[in-house]
Amino acid sequence: MRDRGATRALVLGLLSLWFGIVAPFAIFSAVRSLQRIRTSNGELQGAASATTGLVAAFIAVAVIVAGVTYWIVAS
Amino acid sequence: MIQRALIVVLVIVVALFTYPGAMLVSFATRITPPPTSSRAPAGALSWLHVEHPSRAIPYIADDEGRMVFLHGATPASLLEFGPRNQPEYPIDPAAYENGGCPANKAESKYPPLCQADVSQMARLGFNVMRLPISWSLLEPERGRFNRTYVDRVAQIVGWARDQGMYVIVDMHQNAYSNFVGPGPNVDLGQYSGAPAWATFTDGLPSHVFVSQREVNPAVLEATTNFWYDRNGIQDEYLAALAYVAKRFRNDPVVAGYGVYNEPLIGWNLPPGFEDLLLFPFYRRAIDAITGAHDGLPCWSGFFMPAVCGYRNLGADDARHLIFLDTGLLREVTDFPTHLSMPLSSYPNLVLALHAYTHFYTVDHLLPQLVTSSAYPWGGYDQSYSLAEHEARAMGAALFVSEFGSPPADDSRLLASQVVEQEKHRAGFAFWTWKENGSGAWGVYAPPKSPTDSSGCLRANREQLLARVYPRATADTGVSFRYDSSDGSFSLSAAGHVGDAPTVVYVPPEASGDVTVTGAAATVIDDGEDGSRVITASPTGGAFGVQVAPATLALTGCQ
Repeated sequence: MRDRGATRALVLGLLSLWFGIVAPFAIFSAVRSLQRIRTSNGELQGAASATTGLVAAFIAVAVIVAGVTYWIVAS
Repeated sequence: MIQRALIVVLVIVVALFTYPGAMLVSFATRITPPPTSSRAPAGALSWLHVEHPSRAIPYIADDEGRMVFLHGATPASLLEFGPRNQPEYPIDPAAYENGGCPANKAESKYPPLCQADVSQMARLGFNVMRLPISWSLLEPERGRFNRTYVDRVAQIVGWARDQGMYVIVDMHQNAYSNFVGPGPNVDLGQYSGAPAWATFTDGLPSHVFVSQREVNPAVLEATTNFWYDRNGIQDEYLAALAYVAKRFRNDPVVAGYGVYNEPLIGWNLPPGFEDLLLFPFYRRAIDAITGAHDGLPCWSGFFMPAVCGYRNLGADDARHLIFLDTGLLREVTDFPTHLSMPLSSYPNLVLALHAYTHFYTVDHLLPQLVTSSAYPWGGYDQSYSLAEHEARAMGAALFVSEFGSPPADDSRLLASQVVEQEKHRAGFAFWTWKENGSGAWGVYAPPKSPTDSSGCLRANREQLLARVYPRATADTGVSFRYDSSDGSFSLSAAGHVGDAPTVVYVPPEASGDVTVTGAAATVIDDGEDGSRVITASPTGGAFGVQVAPATLALTGCQ
């Protein structure tokens, strides 16, 4: 059975690349989903989706940090 | 395994199309060599460019590297409006030769722009004119450019040359196009911009809501289609811009080009609109004009994501300034609506601010939501202070390409704006030069008789806009202040022996005695109109220029 949070994390993670404000929700969903999948003893699937969402959200956070840092330094 | 690989590819593709890709391309411009150009041919005026001092905001400079201040106005007579959808006045330059001027039309929003107007601008001390043009007149049929229209622009540039005045050629639009169609509350006489063939409303109704011409489904749809390059219309726009740039490639009287007036967000959201659509579009426009080759090589003819650059369209114009309007939402909020990332390797960029605090800002548009006492938090200064940060982060100079207000609000709105411009050392182009009808915002009053080209010069505007100001100075730390109540002026600067002189313009309205301290050589020339030009050459150390208070010699009507 697929963990519903994994799909949510993937969608939110990809959306965070447009709208960085979504990134914390994507990270939260992904971490919770991965925890459930890990403790389900193989009953739950979707680790790849959750991990992808997590990576995308971290990329979004990195972009935000880089953008804000640039603003502070360059302006 | 295949599924995982597909997901990884999906993330990479989405990242390239969104902020990560946009940011990578933006930062790449920081290490990309700027486009080179052949030596500039000498002209009537000094070529302008943007200097990039370390730890300071870039500024517009002349051939000698001096900081240049531009003061001027915006005549809007070359625009096409609805519902007539034709030029308001002849576009054949022959109709204006030898001082000729077509009769004013009461039904037209603006009087014709004639040679006498340029003389009147110079008389107020203006050294720049922002000249809006309509895409619909420039390219009335797809792929066919109107050479006569550009000839008309060239004629006005020639008049400006005679007056020692720069021209900013501005690709203008208001609510996207005059071809969005009629509808409830829609006054097409307020609409201009794209030609009919580039206006895709997709059947959405043309209907104005909340009394704002831009809040119109047809306008928002057509605008969105432009940003997504529906049917290659953005490519056509860039080609039209390059067509103009080719014509003026070697003319320093043209200070530069305004790429797109007051960009409307369409159905998009900030800051994605600005960072992923608008500013990448600006980058492509710069690529097309200058051959900068920023961004990645991409397709054209349909949606180009933020990473995409654009091909050189043959103008090879790596000398003129490129004026970049902030998004319209920034004008409403007086607050940055984008990340201010580096834009281009091309150095001659100018962030073109539209300053309408307390008139087009949210406190005035939606007073039930926020009051003028509550917003902008930083008052008039907020927009300027933040714009300085934006410009510096983008690597651009700052210029106020539009500001203005109803004449009744001059003592509050206009007076506050010019003080901020002086404080932040930003030049300006006032909206608008002359305008017909009641409620007109022109420097001149509307004509009392339909056949007159204009009414009288408004004394309040003469008092506030005909200012003593430094036209050029080698000291980037210069500070100055003009008091429009008594014509007094004070400038403090410093310089070394051999530095280029500081040039201060004194309009005839300011008749007080001039004193120059700390500068070895000063020359005061009396202009034919009573204006004075002070040239102060530093001898080392601090120097100053003062104009004493005196009764203002205003010639305008009350």
